[in-house]
Amino acid sequence: MRQTIAVYKRELALLFRSPIAYAVAFALLLFLGVLYSGQLSQIVQYNQFAGQQGAQPVGASELNLTTGVLVFLLFLVGPLLTMRLLAEESREGTIETLMTLPMNEGHFIVGKFLAVWTFYTIVLVITLVYHVIGHQVGVPDDGAAFGQYVGAWLYGGAVLAVCMIWSAVTEDQIVAAFLSAATVLVLYLAESAATSLSNAPGLSGLSNFVRELGLQAHYNGTLANGIIRAEDIAYFILVIVGALFITVRIVETRRWRG
Amino acid sequence: MIEVKDLTKRYGSYTAVNAISFDAKPGQVTGFLGPNGAGKTTTMRMLTGFLPPTSGHAMVAGKDAFDESMEVRKAVGYLPENVPLYRDMTALGYLMYMAEIRGVPNRKARALETLERVRLIERANSKIRTLSKGMRQRVGLAQALIHDPQVLILDEPTIGLDPIQVLELRDLVRDLGKKHTVLFSTHILSEAEQVCDKVVIINRGNIVAQGAPAELRTTLERGGRIVLRTNASADKVLPVVQNLPAVAQAAQSLDTIVILPKESHTDPRPAVARAIVENGWELIELRPLAVNLEEIFLELTRQAESASAEPVAETSEASS
Repeated sequence: MRQTIAVYKRELALLFRSPIAYAVAFALLLFLGVLYSGQLSQIVQYNQFAGQQGAQPVGASELNLTTGVLVFLLFLVGPLLTMRLLAEESREGTIETLMTLPMNEGHFIVGKFLAVWTFYTIVLVITLVYHVIGHQVGVPDDGAAFGQYVGAWLYGGAVLAVCMIWSAVTEDQIVAAFLSAATVLVLYLAESAATSLSNAPGLSGLSNFVRELGLQAHYNGTLANGIIRAEDIAYFILVIVGALFITVRIVETRRWRG
Repeated sequence: MIEVKDLTKRYGSYTAVNAISFDAKPGQVTGFLGPNGAGKTTTMRMLTGFLPPTSGHAMVAGKDAFDESMEVRKAVGYLPENVPLYRDMTALGYLMYMAEIRGVPNRKARALETLERVRLIERANSKIRTLSKGMRQRVGLAQALIHDPQVLILDEPTIGLDPIQVLELRDLVRDLGKKHTVLFSTHILSEAEQVCDKVVIINRGNIVAQGAPAELRTTLERGGRIVLRTNASADKVLPVVQNLPAVAQAAQSLDTIVILPKESHTDPRPAVARAIVENGWELIELRPLAVNLEEIFLELTRQAESASAEPVAETSEASS
């Protein structure tokens, strides 16, 4: 516990001094900001038009930030935030010091994961500013926003944990980033793959299985609409725990690989 | 306290360390000596629990280095060979981080005290990347000392330092040896002779010899080659020397004669001296060929591998 906290504090401090973390946060916030302001001006225009024509104005949830875009962008954000975590320790040889300190692999891997997840959480909390802006303009759907944010938070945790596996596998940060991005994209696109599979006769079982494996099936249409289901929460937690377990095992095998 | 018994490490079919046994006692500096690639780092990694042994046991501070790894890690300070450090941290920050993971009380005071000890206190707040090689080495050493460990394992701590830094570091290691069990590896033989109370010589994964440097020298001088220099020409002296009962073989080497004594016999030097004088020649020099550890080392490798002719070549570069 003490060891995990020590590692967590160092990694978090490092993220706040790292140009890449700022670049990622900046790009993400800028992109989402532009997107949201476009969304708002469209809504305002439409509602003006609707008011003149006596038509229905758009619904409250339309005022919410489209977190679907945010979770899609995680295939870039995740690898960039995690690629350094373990690959750098291997390349610099500092892993030798870490592995001869009185702590096991789980201690420092969990510490590093929690640090990067905290950083992501902070960025996520900053995006709440759009929700506040939404309140100035109209009445966004707070309930849906809650589901969206809980979902985006867990979704991010799962993506970061999966990306960490690749950082443990290779010493090369670029390779780790590419493989992470590919893995996250595959998990993101699992739903589309499932859809095309379901068109083939006799494959509906497989199609459902693939759909449930993917990240989107547990976010899009459920959490993203404010529907909090235990199975989705369990899915994300399972992915986080599973990915961290695999990472720990991979780091442990260093001893045997020599 | 370190006790190693039949420790072996194999990578596939390659044996990096082959059933070595030795011990290192508290209050002593034990030197671990060998050319590059002899198996020093592999052995140290096994002692610190970084690598599991293929077979055999290593007891460090009374605990098994692999089965009770966590206990051993608490008792050991380790400086890896390439001194891995976090370059973007300050020296003080790095030490405090290590102290926090190790659960050292009064972290800041302890980190400052350790920096003082390795004489780096004035650079406490410098980023590690701005420090020179010698200073980084000292940060690494401070990291190994931060929790005041019973056992210190230092892998080639003097490599890459300038001569003054080397001297300082040797003093420090000698000083540390008074209180801790220090295992110190080097490929510089004169260094081991200066710093260590005991030397373990390892080559190609095997222990070639171990003992106090002085003791080693005595053992080796007996049965080791002898150099003879006289004022007479070698053609005349050689047959005389060769016929002495204690001499197995004699050969000319430049202006000297190298004598290989018979193993069973006593020291041939008195007999050689007498023979020279009785023939009316003047004896200029008569000494064991191995006068320092460097030569002892060459001698040992020659003896151990007399079958294959080349082992000496790789050590010449190591003995700089």
